[in-house]
Amino acid sequence: MKTSEIMTGRKDFYTFLQRLFYKEVDAQLLGALKGMTFSENCGDAEMQKGYDAIAAYLKNSGENSLDELAADFSKVFLGAGSHEGNAAFPYESVYMGEKPLVMQKPWEEVKKIYAQHGLALENVPSEMMEDHISIELQFMAQLDDIDDAKAFLSGHLLCWADRFCADIEKYAETDFYKGAAALLRGFLKMDLALLTELEGQEHAEKAYSVTDAQFDAVIERLSKDYKVYAPRLTGKFGRNGKEIVRFGEIKSVSEIVYDRQSDFSAKEVYYPVMQTMIYFTESESRESELKDDKGIIIIAHPCDINAVRRLDSIFLENGNHGDVYYARLRNKVKFVMLECAESFENCFCVSAGSNVCEDYAMALRLGETNSVLVKDGEFAALFNGCEETEFAPKFVTENKKAVNMPKVEGKDDVKLASGLEYWNSFDEKCISCGGCNTVCPTCACFDTVDVIYDETSVDGERRRVWSSCMLDTFTLTAGGGRARKTAGANMRFKVLHKTYDFKKRFGKENMCVGCGRCTSRCPKDIDFAEVVNGFTEALDTAKEAK
Amino acid sequence: MENIMLPKPHKILRVLKETQAEYTFRVECSDESKHGQFYMLSIPKIGEAPISVSGRGEGYVEFTIRKVGRLTDGMFGLAAGDNLFMRGPYGNSFPVESFEGKPLIVISGGTGMCPVRTTLNYFYDNPEKCPEVRFMAGFKAPDAVLFTEELEKFKDRFNTQYCLDTGEMEGFKSGFVTQCISDVPFADYEDYNVVIVGPPAMMHIAAQECVKCGAAEEKIWVSFERKMSCAVGKCGHCKINETYVCLEGPVFNYTKAKELLD
Ligand code: SF4
Ligand code: SF4
Ligand code: FES
Repeated sequence: MKTSEIMTGRKDFYTFLQRLFYKEVDAQLLGALKGMTFSENCGDAEMQKGYDAIAAYLKNSGENSLDELAADFSKVFLGAGSHEGNAAFPYESVYMGEKPLVMQKPWEEVKKIYAQHGLALENVPSEMMEDHISIELQFMAQLDDIDDAKAFLSGHLLCWADRFCADIEKYAETDFYKGAAALLRGFLKMDLALLTELEGQEHAEKAYSVTDAQFDAVIERLSKDYKVYAPRLTGKFGRNGKEIVRFGEIKSVSEIVYDRQSDFSAKEVYYPVMQTMIYFTESESRESELKDDKGIIIIAHPCDINAVRRLDSIFLENGNHGDVYYARLRNKVKFVMLECAESFENCFCVSAGSNVCEDYAMALRLGETNSVLVKDGEFAALFNGCEETEFAPKFVTENKKAVNMPKVEGKDDVKLASGLEYWNSFDEKCISCGGCNTVCPTCACFDTVDVIYDETSVDGERRRVWSSCMLDTFTLTAGGGRARKTAGANMRFKVLHKTYDFKKRFGKENMCVGCGRCTSRCPKDIDFAEVVNGFTEALDTAKEAK
Repeated sequence: MENIMLPKPHKILRVLKETQAEYTFRVECSDESKHGQFYMLSIPKIGEAPISVSGRGEGYVEFTIRKVGRLTDGMFGLAAGDNLFMRGPYGNSFPVESFEGKPLIVISGGTGMCPVRTTLNYFYDNPEKCPEVRFMAGFKAPDAVLFTEELEKFKDRFNTQYCLDTGEMEGFKSGFVTQCISDVPFADYEDYNVVIVGPPAMMHIAAQECVKCGAAEEKIWVSFERKMSCAVGKCGHCKINETYVCLEGPVFNYTKAKELLD
């Protein structure tokens, strides 16, 4: 089948589903449904369950089916007749918002997405919010672009469909709506697989075997439009006597250090340690400019690429407004995923769920022979002349360290977690140097400092500099007050942020990607994996004791 | 993308000395701000700090700043006619509309009076909007007493109690302001609101005392003061668990505030 035919087929199905969830079944729809023959072996177990249930209902339907279906519709989706108001409320916001209410953040997000696509949503009753299941389905039916459809499906519909369908099944009386739930759930999952396949065909990925010399030539060509960064040696030595590895510009593949974790993360490339934000005079303030108009290519391991999403959440999403200084560099970045030959000393990316990464322009295996997989069309011609090969990057599936992430559920757990005696043990151990924050790919905090050029005028600039929640001045106010007063309290704050509250706020993933750098960096040999395990254990014990 | 961290110059209209250490800067500005909101002020040669609006009127806002530490020192070289760079207003506000028609109890400690000052003046100027205002203000010592004239003025329309932690002065009781809370007849009120602003320890004690005297937690409102370097949810300084004080605060209902553990 041609891609266009597949697209039309799936869009028609979305339109069909849209109608099922949009309003009650009317005579016309019932007639149409009765006239349809449902597949008895559609190839997807979940969808088949749905077809079977609906077919069974239709077969036994009688005169009062319309009334019965209408009553069930109001019960399931509007909570009619339930004293507690329980229902499968068909809004994303109810399932994905901070509170189970309509018109929260997810609603704002989908409105924004609809607006970006400039699509007209027709026949939408004014009382229906834009994140209603039927409107999201209708939107899917209108999207022509595979990437856009996949993004909306995985970023929105699929995030809540499972729980929504489970609620339908819970509250529905009729097999019809139970079946509709199974159909929806099954179809959405199948569509994701389908879109992924189409996407793969669209951007036919090719892999090459590349010699060092060929690679260096590629870097040279890339350098016209990009600055190419990779982990490389710095000539400086760390406290363990090893030469420090940091991200820097490279000219040759031989510079790339691929067989150990870099001491600093890739974030310093797009979120530098120090940045000038504003220039001041007596009467004017002016945004600093970027001097360089080249793009940025960063060759990095999966943990660093996954970390960018975390920083995006804070700098682009939090507070519903983007940060100019972050965005202007971040938007230039394309990643080349550097395969991990093995799991390094302190890594626990598998426990952190960030060992695998899909968001990259190219993937790279370095070693005796080098292999490259090119995903991004822009780079398709870059390796012409190199030998084509079969290469699919592998991901680490086991680390030397394993971490049990804490299970903090609800206010009582937070209170329990915050009050643990455990944290006090760090008052002595941790010297509040903040080193762990500086090497972390997901630490985003900063301070601002104003610098004046000479004492006689106010002309100067405002800079921002990485800050560190482990420093004892982090919460110090002008009035001299400090919110968190001990190293233990800071440790608690950091650990909860990395393993619990970031996820609570942004709903997607924990902040920590398990790169292990903080452990390698700590002058007091505080091992972050052990710290988290100790916390989880202390919390579990406290929960049991209650 | 708009640069939300770019401050704009505003002309200083006058500088008023409140105490030895506190000055009120009146700045030209016609933004709409709500009761309890704050601005990020650029302190020349130093950096930015969050400062609550302590007063406002046609075409101006006021900020009362304490001369402590390096951070606010730079402010005191400024005079009328100079520019002050600022951005805002930021944060949420006291739900003053829902305060209307019910007794209001305001308890402030020291400069905690600044963020509630516009609320107090609003009810002073519109006495028909509030059947009863009880205002309790505490200060460290006689030389730390702020807005003296206003304290005097509030006496005619509000039930006022002023306290000094140490030292003596006419019209002031000695001891902490929290001692006055037991006088509030919470049990006689059908509905009411309590606003508490001051140093963290004072707010904590005051809220607990209110609850002890029969106040319902959901009727108590507090305002947090935190270190802030951005006020727009990026710098991380104000964060408590998953809550960003600059975005979701600085005003919190006590039911939420008591969960915000540092
Ligand atoms: S907390 Fe430690 S292990 Fe986790 S991402 Fe940061 S540096 Fe890596
Ligand atoms: S690196 Fe170690 S000693 Fe330094 S702040 Fe982090 S945990 Fe504490
Ligand atoms: S003040 Fe920067 S995040 Fe709130």
